[in-house]
Amino acid sequence: MNDANDAILGARDAAASTARDAILGALEAAAPPAPDAIPRVGAGEMPADPTGVLRERLDQNGGTLVEADGADWLACLGDAFDVGSFTNVYCAQGDMVAGSDLGSRGVGATALDVHALAPLDLCVLRAQFAVVENGAAWHVPASPLERAAALLAQHLIVLVDASALVPTLHDAYAGIDLGGTGFGWFLCGPSKTADIEQALVLGAHGPCSMRLVLTSS
Amino acid sequence: MGHVSRATAFVAEADRTTWHDQVLWFVRAKRDAAADSVPEWESLRDEAAGVKRDALSRLPALWREFETRATEAGAVVHWARDAAEHNRIVGQLLEHHGAQRVVKSKSMLTEECGLNPHLETKGIEVVDTDLGERIVQLRNEPPSHIIMPAIHLKRGEIGELFHAEMEAPEGLEDPDALTAIAREDLRARFLAADAGITGVNFAVAESGSFVVVTNEGNADLGTALPRLHIACVGLEKIVPRAQDLAPFLRLLARSATGQPISTYTSHFRGPRAAENDDGPTPEQHIVIVDNGRSRLLAEPAFREALACIRCGACLNTCPVYRRSGGHSYGTTVPGPIGSVLAPSRDPARHAELPHACSLCGSCSDICPVKVPLHHQLLTWRSHLAEGGHHARRRRLAFGLAARVLGDRALYGFATRAGRAIARRLPSRWLDALGGAWSRSRAMPPIPAKSFRDQLRVREEATPEERQP
Amino acid sequence: MSVALFVPCYVDQLRPRVGLAALDLVRAAGHAVEFLDEAVCCGQPCLTAGEDGRAAALGRRFGELATGFDTIVTPSGSCAATLRSHLPRWSPASAGTAERVVELTAFLESDGSLPPPRNGFPHRVGLHASCHALRELRQGSPSETREPPREDPAAALLRRIPDLALVDLTRRDECCGFGGVFSVEEEAVSSRMGRDRLADHRRGGADLIASTDVSCLLHLEGLARHDAHGGGSPTVLHVAEILAEAQLGAGWLDRHADETSIPLPSNRRVTDGAR
Repeated sequence: MNDANDAILGARDAAASTARDAILGALEAAAPPAPDAIPRVGAGEMPADPTGVLRERLDQNGGTLVEADGADWLACLGDAFDVGSFTNVYCAQGDMVAGSDLGSRGVGATALDVHALAPLDLCVLRAQFAVVENGAAWHVPASPLERAAALLAQHLIVLVDASALVPTLHDAYAGIDLGGTGFGWFLCGPSKTADIEQALVLGAHGPCSMRLVLTSS
Repeated sequence: MGHVSRATAFVAEADRTTWHDQVLWFVRAKRDAAADSVPEWESLRDEAAGVKRDALSRLPALWREFETRATEAGAVVHWARDAAEHNRIVGQLLEHHGAQRVVKSKSMLTEECGLNPHLETKGIEVVDTDLGERIVQLRNEPPSHIIMPAIHLKRGEIGELFHAEMEAPEGLEDPDALTAIAREDLRARFLAADAGITGVNFAVAESGSFVVVTNEGNADLGTALPRLHIACVGLEKIVPRAQDLAPFLRLLARSATGQPISTYTSHFRGPRAAENDDGPTPEQHIVIVDNGRSRLLAEPAFREALACIRCGACLNTCPVYRRSGGHSYGTTVPGPIGSVLAPSRDPARHAELPHACSLCGSCSDICPVKVPLHHQLLTWRSHLAEGGHHARRRRLAFGLAARVLGDRALYGFATRAGRAIARRLPSRWLDALGGAWSRSRAMPPIPAKSFRDQLRVREEATPEERQP
Repeated sequence: MSVALFVPCYVDQLRPRVGLAALDLVRAAGHAVEFLDEAVCCGQPCLTAGEDGRAAALGRRFGELATGFDTIVTPSGSCAATLRSHLPRWSPASAGTAERVVELTAFLESDGSLPPPRNGFPHRVGLHASCHALRELRQGSPSETREPPREDPAAALLRRIPDLALVDLTRRDECCGFGGVFSVEEEAVSSRMGRDRLADHRRGGADLIASTDVSCLLHLEGLARHDAHGGGSPTVLHVAEILAEAQLGAGWLDRHADETSIPLPSNRRVTDGAR
């Protein structure tokens, strides 16, 4: 594969520098004058009821907010969602619930290749923070397996510390170092589509459900 | 076959037009509700518009910085002057990597370049994984909307398609069930794919990162599983810093579909990590494409159109688009923004498009980055006339009208004579003279006296006869 | 303040009563008005057809004729918008004149000199927002933006008229589909747009449709009459005509009617107080 790449790179260098120069030259010739100063929107204000707004926005995205008191968030999921019944589970971190036996199991534990995660039932992640205005959680997968798990699992749970909420994306980006992040994403709900007559369907290709769990230490 | 004839055919199906108009108005209404929930909406528009105009004034520096940073991160950066070069680069990359099965997430740029047909000539199977795109791909037709590619189709039609192409039971219409069938089919394709091609919503110069936004997660599945990622990006899609992403990502999904944010907002920097040493080293190739964008940048009247973030709001709000459908435009991107971009690419072919517009201005007011779309459409009209793309007869007719309207005496004479004749004509003849107006409208009744005539009568009247 | 009146070509020829209403209203507001007889056309039909050069010639002529007046009033949102937006470009020397062109209802409302209306107008009125008045002149708040609200002067004036009820529309500022030459070049879509507007007004219970633009009204009326095979409902009136009836003595409309004028729908008691 490296030979193939060298072949491409070699052949392309000649043509590429022509294309690159032509394009940059055309852009330079066409450059419009710089506009006036950009009016910037500043830091956001946390609403009076951030959890309430967060819940509403998540709901709009097809997700569910779960407020957990204390460390045992599993107990707050409700009877309908029985984590114990899942065979294949991927947990991003070893001890995601103190004293519980929730951890990676099935393919979640054994997969050495991303494709092997296809039968995954549940993926549990920890996000760095969540954005109140849109219900999105900022997550940086620790590994390619973790990223694939988040996509292939039928159900997704994202844990966020209740104190790690920011009001808007303006505040979010102030705390993100993209230059130091190979891959990071905002996740705000289950995979969805409305491509058939604008009818909302949850679970297009990825998870069919997403729960954002606000944990407090 | 231009917009006029296709739109006329579309409108002739009155019930279907009602349905299409209402579905799209529904999306517009959702956008309105989302805008209501953001008190700083207009400030966001100002910031986003400002960032774009600033970026457009220094694209070379930004792309140079991007190239350096992306290369440092391990990506390979390519440059394509036009669609053919873009297709050649992508085709060669896939061939050299032995990629036979490719998944592609939504990219209007690759649609614009005609990538799929090109790859098919090389025997490479490319599957569009966005559900709407997959539907139109299976139907062998172009998307009719840039965000909702299959918005022109009813569930029954999609059901028939899935029955024919994906072994769905006959008569299945339920969107959940149809989507579930597509889910199974497409998940298998993601898992079997050799390479994933994506578009790019925003490139970030300072880090060499880029952002891809979806609701379905198909861009992510297409890049988290295969080890070859090819990202195609138009020259206009770059912003200087990560912080600059904020106003766009707060406006984009709200403008497009009324959601606070899309489900997946993925930030890529360099190729994905490999989870094991089996298989090739993962690679990320970024193809930067011009294809007429630098030419548009050189046009002061139209360059602001490059600020477009492809939200589709102008399509949803356009009363003409809603009643004529995306296929009436004959362009990759239809609607108001499409009608500004297309004539730049091919004025002869698309000279009609700026006229497929009543100049209502709703598009300009809804555009999150304040592109003055309806002003640009108006400006296009005189550019195209001067460029010889308007029919000679039409130009002569307006020349004559201008002559009459510009000469008070001639105007007086012509209108007096015209009114006298028109008032004596049988209404059928008048309707015939009215041409297209009379197809569905009664001709306006013509009074015996014009305003000027009545004013003269008043002034000649005695003070007793005058009435306030 | 010296006030001139510009009556656009199509109003002059097809709806002269609108011109008379404009004239009489500005006078009733206490101004001496000079009618610009020599000014025939602002250039808009040529402009929207893409004949900018021809439009510019007409606009420049207007600029010359309108020089020296403090205000030039016109009962047309589209003509006011065309002159304000394009005349400075066509003739930089006329930029000052262009700034002084004002649409009639905006003038009357900001001038504020019209006395409160004496006569009631007991009808349900659908106010059709002229795209030019709304989006070019910013007379009102477009439904798309979230700018600080601006009142539509036409609505403000109509709301003060006793017994007049403004109906609610499901799409408060959708275009009627006239669009100048668009109305004939894209006739099918144009007509469909107009019919949808008529249906909205009918749903809201309007028995007449008003606007600041005669072009929109002729298009809507033409469709209504065609579809009703000459029966013609709802009636259309320029806002100036309604104001004249309310301000200038009951029966003003009848006194200034010509043979093409359609009588008002029979007076109805307005039982729901929608204003």
